[in-house]
Amino acid sequence: MRLGYYARLFAVQARASLTTAMQYRADFLVQGLTSLYWLGWNLVPLLVLYDDRATVAGWSFGAALVVMAHFVIVRGILEGAINPSLGAVVEQIRSGAFDYTLLRPADAQFLVSTARFAPWRALDVLGGVGLLIYAFVRLGHAPSPAQLGAGLVLLGAGLAVMYGLWIMIVATAFWVVRMDNLIYLLSSVFDAARWPASVFRGVWKVVFTFVIPLALMTTFPARALLGTVTWQAGIGCLVGALLVSIVARLVWRLALRSYTSASS
Amino acid sequence: MMRAARALPTLIRVGMVEAIAYRAEMVVWLLTTTMPLVMLGLWTSVADEAPFRAWATRDFVAYYLVALVVRNLTSNWVAWQISEEIRTGAVSGRLLRPIHPFLGYLGTHLGAVPLRAIAVAPVIVIMMWTSARGVLVTDAAHLALVAAAIVGAWLLTFGVFLCLGALGFFLDKAMGIIEVYFGVFAIMSGYLIPLALLPGWVRAIARVLPFRSMLGDPVAIAIGRVPDAGDAARLVALQWAWAIGLLALATWLWRTGVRRYEAFGG
Amino acid sequence: MTIEVAGLSKHFRVHRRPPGLAAAVRSLWRRRYDTVKAVDDVSFTIARGERVGFLGPNGAGKTTTMKVLSGLLHPTAGAVRVEGHQPFRREPDFLRRITLVMGQKQQLLWDLPPSETYALNRAVFGVDPAQARQTIAELTELLGLAGLTDKPTRQLSLGERMKCELAAALLHRPTTLFLDEPTIGLDVAMQVTIRDFIRDYNQRHDATVLLTSHYMDDVVALCPRVIVIDGGRLIHDGDLRALVKTMLPDKLVSFTGGVPAEEVARLGEVVKAEGGRTTVRVPEARLREVVSHVLDRAGADLAVEDPPLEDVMRKLFKDKRAAAPAAPPAEPPP
Repeated sequence: MRLGYYARLFAVQARASLTTAMQYRADFLVQGLTSLYWLGWNLVPLLVLYDDRATVAGWSFGAALVVMAHFVIVRGILEGAINPSLGAVVEQIRSGAFDYTLLRPADAQFLVSTARFAPWRALDVLGGVGLLIYAFVRLGHAPSPAQLGAGLVLLGAGLAVMYGLWIMIVATAFWVVRMDNLIYLLSSVFDAARWPASVFRGVWKVVFTFVIPLALMTTFPARALLGTVTWQAGIGCLVGALLVSIVARLVWRLALRSYTSASS
Repeated sequence: MMRAARALPTLIRVGMVEAIAYRAEMVVWLLTTTMPLVMLGLWTSVADEAPFRAWATRDFVAYYLVALVVRNLTSNWVAWQISEEIRTGAVSGRLLRPIHPFLGYLGTHLGAVPLRAIAVAPVIVIMMWTSARGVLVTDAAHLALVAAAIVGAWLLTFGVFLCLGALGFFLDKAMGIIEVYFGVFAIMSGYLIPLALLPGWVRAIARVLPFRSMLGDPVAIAIGRVPDAGDAARLVALQWAWAIGLLALATWLWRTGVRRYEAFGG
Repeated sequence: MTIEVAGLSKHFRVHRRPPGLAAAVRSLWRRRYDTVKAVDDVSFTIARGERVGFLGPNGAGKTTTMKVLSGLLHPTAGAVRVEGHQPFRREPDFLRRITLVMGQKQQLLWDLPPSETYALNRAVFGVDPAQARQTIAELTELLGLAGLTDKPTRQLSLGERMKCELAAALLHRPTTLFLDEPTIGLDVAMQVTIRDFIRDYNQRHDATVLLTSHYMDDVVALCPRVIVIDGGRLIHDGDLRALVKTMLPDKLVSFTGGVPAEEVARLGEVVKAEGGRTTVRVPEARLREVVSHVLDRAGADLAVEDPPLEDVMRKLFKDKRAAAPAAPPAEPPP
């Protein structure tokens, strides 16, 4: 019953986003060109780097491309499914329209997370998949079905981590209005996820492992596809994703409570 | 002109108060310039294995930390401000004031410079503790040129952003242009990778564009990659020429845009 | 009782931001906070089917009270029950029975036709499709929505948008309506439409209505009872006519020509005299005498009115301020 209810809600909201996107059909072309542009842009440092070296921190060009492809895919999902909704919430909080969301008899986190999609960003994801295929052609082998399955599961876990972090950032908007800048901050840190995590050392390693677990978002799913991830590490990723999701939910609820006790 | 000159100190003071009021946002914005730090992490790992085409670890550390400082000192958000004001119609208020709107923007963003300087100070202090210290120039001629190059980079960046903002008069989606601009800037200015490490044909394109004067050249002078003071002075002269040219272009774009805005009501 | 409020208080802590560069720098280290009593020990009850006007100057605490009643704000102190629920728990069963309409904030999806928002609200509130169709048909007829709900919201005029907002807010047939400035910015004809609709909805569904408005005509036309708050405190609760009578016991008598100027002055204080029409303020006790006097001279063109509610409010708040000068008007934080 509850599940069916939320499935229906999701369908209605997704349809509204699609209808909106259809009104701006020219964006399809613009988005396609932009996707291509950034795809090429992303490759520049990779090409410069591997022009001089065969491997960097044990990663060959092909393997690094697999990580890059994951980055492009995850970034596409982030920009297409997560940022628009959460950006909309921050806007709603500022304009006061968020009050209407709170007065609807459905989970507020669900309502805001599905409020807006940018369907054209699917082109980014498509570009990422293309890059992924190219990377494996270059590597000269295809992932086994088991590796593919593990890769998808870990990709799901990575997306859950990312979504959790973003929810926590949005929750801060209840306390500090105009903190949408924090979303930019996280987006810009996320840019580092285009590189295999093991390339970084020292301070970066600590930050990218414990503060913002970028490795979980792109490197581990990529390694699962490449068949270089252990069972223990895989399970570690899943546990990490679960933990981040739980913490995000708690932070959200806390923020909501403070919103309804302190704002006007 | 005289009245405008008299108004400027007040405009800057108001800009400082604004900057303090929005300090939390400013700090976050400064923190979003993580790209040099990420690239720093990447390249130091690479250079630790073996120097990368005559660039050792300390060269990369110096390059990206100085780039971080220059970028944060010289950047501003006037392009976003203008395009937002055009979108909402708030720009009309500026047109009714008896001074050129650029002066208002100048005040706001010059006013933010002291706070930006305070924010980047820790980076400079940290840099003095790292291997990068030995790379930085120390002679008076070069230091003076670095100072001139930073002022020039500020003016040039301001001019470029004014141009981008004024495009909002002509285009609905000026923000998309800014995104594309940033991609070009990051590569052609040396923000992403030092220009010296890029392939020859990319360097050839970068040489004729203004972007390198915004970041790559000032950084190169500061970390001793331009040993001859005469060469460095020529780079600074070129930079100031670009700055004047782009400020003139911005003024023209603005005037044309305003005429259009008045005709169509935005 | 649909709404029960006992000893409700809502306090906010606000950061005081002084002007000037030096002060701005100083506030980096030392922040000063003030406590604002937006609502202070307010009690009232409202029965099912009542229409109550909620009045007070800007920043009196009206919106804050509305938000507490609809569950958006936690009360600082006091007991609140609406439709048998504690609002701040925002239980689905409670939310399905109430609605809040804020004239200055919109829930319609900007880029899409209102019908999409209706579809969303139907799904969110779990309204049965057949019932939703019937409700929409009813609202379409009463509000004159035909042809509006399939145009993108951004193309609608302010008045059309407000009608569509109301329909979106009432799709789930709530029985308690919190209406915060529902007619703000609308022209007179549109105000009348909305007003008639609210009264009709109230009678049809026996719905309880609590309304704030800057337009006193709304309140006069809709609300037999008014609750007045000022500076967060309740200063009047009762019959609208009784309030008018106690505050301004005078009537306004207006007539055209016929009465010599020197006699007019003796009738009462002249409030207005233009276009040959004169209006005088007359104490209730002398009303009969004045009216018969004017009728003798001026014939049938005579009207007797209550003074405008605006005047009543102005007098009410002025008296209140004079009585308690210690309480400054409180503005809740943005």
